[in-house]
Amino acid sequence: MVAVSVDLKDALARCAGGDKAALRLIYDSECAAMIGVAARIVKRRELAEEVVQEAFVKIWRNAHRYDPGLGPAKAWIYAIVRNQAINTLRSGKREDLVDEVPEDAGSAVEAYAAAERLPEGQALRRCLEGLEARRRTSLLMAYVDGFSHGEIAGRLGLPLGTVKAWIRRSLLALRECMG
Amino acid sequence: MTDDLIATAGEYVAGLMSPDEQEAFERLIASDADARRAVADWRTRLLALDETATQLTPSDALWPAIEAAVGTQRPVSEPAPGWFARLWQDVSALRLATLAGAAAALLLAVLLVVQPFGRSDKPTVVAVLNAPNTSEAGAIVEAFADGRIRVVPLRAIPVPEGRVLQVWTLWDRQVGPRSVGLMERAEARDYATSGMPRPVDQQLYEITLEPAGGSPTGRPTGPILYVGRGATPL
Repeated sequence: MVAVSVDLKDALARCAGGDKAALRLIYDSECAAMIGVAARIVKRRELAEEVVQEAFVKIWRNAHRYDPGLGPAKAWIYAIVRNQAINTLRSGKREDLVDEVPEDAGSAVEAYAAAERLPEGQALRRCLEGLEARRRTSLLMAYVDGFSHGEIAGRLGLPLGTVKAWIRRSLLALRECMG
Repeated sequence: MTDDLIATAGEYVAGLMSPDEQEAFERLIASDADARRAVADWRTRLLALDETATQLTPSDALWPAIEAAVGTQRPVSEPAPGWFARLWQDVSALRLATLAGAAAALLLAVLLVVQPFGRSDKPTVVAVLNAPNTSEAGAIVEAFADGRIRVVPLRAIPVPEGRVLQVWTLWDRQVGPRSVGLMERAEARDYATSGMPRPVDQQLYEITLEPAGGSPTGRPTGPILYVGRGATPL
């Protein structure tokens, strides 16, 4: 695979101006990783491609809304991917009931691998490691796997209220640690 | 920034909100700079997690599908629009019928009022802006081929302390709304714009209430006070 170095901020600005070649640049640079992010949430490869297709349509339509003063273009792009993946997964419906715990609950969770793959010495990794293990897992299951509070509670065998409170406190601890 | 806002923004970014909570929070984002900042900060902090995903090579069909979807003005699978997008869609869905009465009556009257006899240049597009709910006419917009845009309020528009009226136009949803200029208080104003295409029939104009200094995002964030579509005068 050829490494493509693309200025995503510049590409978004060009998309906002109607330049489709810029959208293709984003595609060449990010598409494979975008499918990977979507697949962790929707758990199915072909569905992940559908998510990414919708995400590119949103990127194209909303490129003018990206504000470089509010963080890197890459963060904006991946927020669209995860948002689209979660919407696809739930088809607009979000249940907060505790789910049945599937037999292979552990194997379906990508949260653990994601945490291990964070580069050593990176602030996010260091700060996540500072959280108690199940609290860390709760937060990662939400962000990485796109699980709802109820799904996390079901998989970890915890009361819903506990999971909600843990995640909020973990977020504040992370913010405190990372600044 | 409060801990409550930081934690709530984190839940939003982590995808943990119900649709109702999400919609309410997106309304807050639209009007509150701290909320926007809190959300953006979380996206930036957590981005490294997205970078841990396994790269999966796209199938050959993916790019052609994307190209087809963005190549049409109205893709078949319109994604659920966000708050802003819906506002603009609602606006664009405003029935001409609701405007027609006021517009027809006012167009003639207004053209006479705002265009002195003997003035040689004539606007390319004229719009009557109405209140979204009551349809009362609130302002007239005249857009000229050279980029000048004249906005004439038709009634007193209250502007609270620390706020300003902002005039917007939209000619292409893919480009999004663009600011025409600010209006400190309701009075006739001429704006010189550049970088906008020649105004066209059905072009959208609107006035929103924004924080002093104008919308911090460059997009309308405040409530729509008056809105209307342009028509080419005879």
